[in-house]
Amino acid sequence: MTPDSGSKPTASDLQIQQFVDELSGFAASAQQTLGVIELDMEANKSKFEVFATMMLTIRGTSDQLGFQHVSQIARLGEEIAIKGVSAETRPQIRKCVGSLWDVITTVKHLIVHREGETGEEQKILINRLEYTLNAFGGARPTFDQDEISKLIEEQG
Amino acid sequence: MALRLRLRDLCREIGFKEVTLSSNGEEAKVVLAMDEIHLILADWYTEPVSGLELLKVIRQNPKFQNTVFVMITAENTREKVIEALKAGVDDYLVKPITAAQLQSKVMAALMKRKVIG
Repeated sequence: MTPDSGSKPTASDLQIQQFVDELSGFAASAQQTLGVIELDMEANKSKFEVFATMMLTIRGTSDQLGFQHVSQIARLGEEIAIKGVSAETRPQIRKCVGSLWDVITTVKHLIVHREGETGEEQKILINRLEYTLNAFGGARPTFDQDEISKLIEEQG
Repeated sequence: MALRLRLRDLCREIGFKEVTLSSNGEEAKVVLAMDEIHLILADWYTEPVSGLELLKVIRQNPKFQNTVFVMITAENTREKVIEALKAGVDDYLVKPITAAQLQSKVMAALMKRKVIG
């Protein structure tokens, strides 16, 4: 992914760097959005949806780049943010905000250290996020590509 | 932007000579009004006009009855996929996508709408 010292970067290297710069930009925007929610949790909880969209963008770009460890955490962040939109109590909203700060901090770290393995701390975070998401009722149902292709075929 | 550039390159690799980039549905509508477009590859989440909104506009206008619309997105919740299918998407690709996958889906959709023989 990273060109050798002194060699000319290829078009692919440049595109990957551009992707990574975009990821960093989205992570910064998501961090700002979370700051706004934190200012007035109940009034601003609809902004969780904006955060979820940013996490989806990070997930899509990470999937395309093959950064599965970033993608996995972004997916959990996206789902917890969706739960935040409809959270009914202040402790629930606070729980979402707390989890999402962990998500965004970790995503930013992983984008910078994208070539590395998922560390023990990230694994613990993933377990904690999964536990939180399950406590909120679990992730929304999804289709995989094969299921979508079948639906398209059936549609005729 | 980077993904759009990558898609443009992929489209050229699979034989499309003219490829126009738009950053959102609003820009795409301007391009569609001026040029004859046979294929649209759109992401779901773009501002201010989303890919889904663009799809709905396209499907309501008889001028675009043969225009192929393929959604390329990370959005794969059942609710959203079904919404896109109901709106008339020709195909729906979940990221990550490969050049081979793009080629196969796009060619099939173009043949189905008889844009190519």
